[in-house]
Amino acid sequence: MNLGFVVGVIGVLILSHAAYSTIQYRGLLKIMEEEFSRPPMNVLLELIVGLALCMWAALTFPGKFLSIHPDSDENRTVSLPDSSEFMIFNHRGRLFPPQIDMKF
Amino acid sequence: MGSSEKRSKDLMSDIPTFSAENLQNNLKVIQNSRTFLSIIAGVLAGIIGFNGLTGFVFYFVVMLITSVGLMAKAGFSADLYFDSLNRVLFDGFLGGLMSFVLFWTFAYDLVHIF
Repeated sequence: MNLGFVVGVIGVLILSHAAYSTIQYRGLLKIMEEEFSRPPMNVLLELIVGLALCMWAALTFPGKFLSIHPDSDENRTVSLPDSSEFMIFNHRGRLFPPQIDMKF
Repeated sequence: MGSSEKRSKDLMSDIPTFSAENLQNNLKVIQNSRTFLSIIAGVLAGIIGFNGLTGFVFYFVVMLITSVGLMAKAGFSADLYFDSLNRVLFDGFLGGLMSFVLFWTFAYDLVHIF
């Protein structure tokens, strides 16, 4: 979980740096009185790198896929819900003698 | 004893059962991935300055890449993790579209209109 999160944060930082560079580029274009058609090549490269990092983080951070087959190796135990309605008390333990001397 | 074994085996192969909470977990994972990536795609479209239809084409391209990525994460055998393939490919498409447009306009205003 940690590595995916760090990679995602780095990707978002790269994207915000690219946004800032584009704002500066637009200011430069305004001074030179030219039209804005697309961001400069290094900003585009930065955006592609940021997109790749964020995509990798989005595929690894939210969690693993769990198998849904009931008879696969990692689904061996079925856990009942932990509510109090499934607790039983009428088992063999009631036949134990009531006083037990426990020596620690 | 032999007949009861045969009966239980027939039951296991007749009803297709699967662990529902694992399926729910897998669907939640896809939903989270798609939402995050549609937000990132929106920010990207705003920074580059897409106008109109080109932006929506960009969103569909990113979602297709996401589908390929999710299939790769599931090891290209969706039967192990999902009950139908359509869920993997087309689940969060339209829900992410709204987030995409929101962050697209947000980033576009921030970068180009100031």
